[in-house]
Amino acid sequence: MMTADEYIAIVIDRMPVDTPMRRQIADELRAHIDERTRQGHALADVLQQLGDPEKLAESYVAAIPLDVVSFGTRAAAKIIDAMLAIVPVAILCSVLAPKDIALPALVVGMGLLACPLFMFYTIIAESRTSQTFGKRLMGTRVVREEGTRITIGQAIVRQLPWLLQIFWIDAFFALFTERHQRAFELLSKTRVVSVSTQEAVS
Amino acid sequence: MAIPDRADERRGIERELKRGSLELIVLHLLAPGEAYGYEIVTKLTERTNGALEVTDGTLYPVLYRLERAGSVTVRWETPERGVPRKYYRLTAAGREELRQLEAEWTTFTQAMAKLLRQDRETK
Repeated sequence: MMTADEYIAIVIDRMPVDTPMRRQIADELRAHIDERTRQGHALADVLQQLGDPEKLAESYVAAIPLDVVSFGTRAAAKIIDAMLAIVPVAILCSVLAPKDIALPALVVGMGLLACPLFMFYTIIAESRTSQTFGKRLMGTRVVREEGTRITIGQAIVRQLPWLLQIFWIDAFFALFTERHQRAFELLSKTRVVSVSTQEAVS
Repeated sequence: MAIPDRADERRGIERELKRGSLELIVLHLLAPGEAYGYEIVTKLTERTNGALEVTDGTLYPVLYRLERAGSVTVRWETPERGVPRKYYRLTAAGREELRQLEAEWTTFTQAMAKLLRQDRETK
């Protein structure tokens, strides 16, 4: 059976880390469960009244608007992230690559190094903090369509276009879909939204 | 495309009605003065004899939404024994919101009652 702490941990874990008053929500839920159980209710009943922790997290974050981000802003964030991967690889190659290597070979080699690095970084950053460095700079974040934090699985699906070498086609979708979603964002049910100014304050 | 089950459909309507009225309910319960979450939950059950059954899990996110919208202010208090409580109090904006929602609700229910009455009379 689930303990109160475990239940609260799930609710909090499903909220993006920048969700305002995350700690306060945990405290209030703890107080509520505590009060109910002291009134003689069984913990199982109390948790059932609160409902599925995943759904509860969704209801909370529904209070936070999910504003669509322009294609340009998204592209800028992506370019910043790409630079983050390319620059160190370029430096590394300039030091380690043999001097007589052909340029095309060098470019392919750099791509083979930078691409996995970029994918790995993006997957970790998006699933843990909802933001990559580029997204942070551009004031955007990635969430599930319900507004909750994306899972590692969703973060991986988001990066599949790189692996499948169809990134340009995938990104093209963002120009025409209603919420500027890429094809693999539609597939993974994730969205890139803006960090509202209201949130930055609290 | 699957044809939605009638019972499912009715539950859906009930859910929509509840969602629309939840904020009004909570604002109304906070009108007399400040209260903490658990108090509001129990008050709601008592007042309506459980007819307006709102689960605890539905109420807290509404309070969160109201706080974010500036309709309520909050204050934490730790009683001598037990865990800290989060007290909610209506702001001026919250009172205004309550007044508007109340007016909308009344207009809607009156119009509905009138419509349903008319249809009964012509039958």
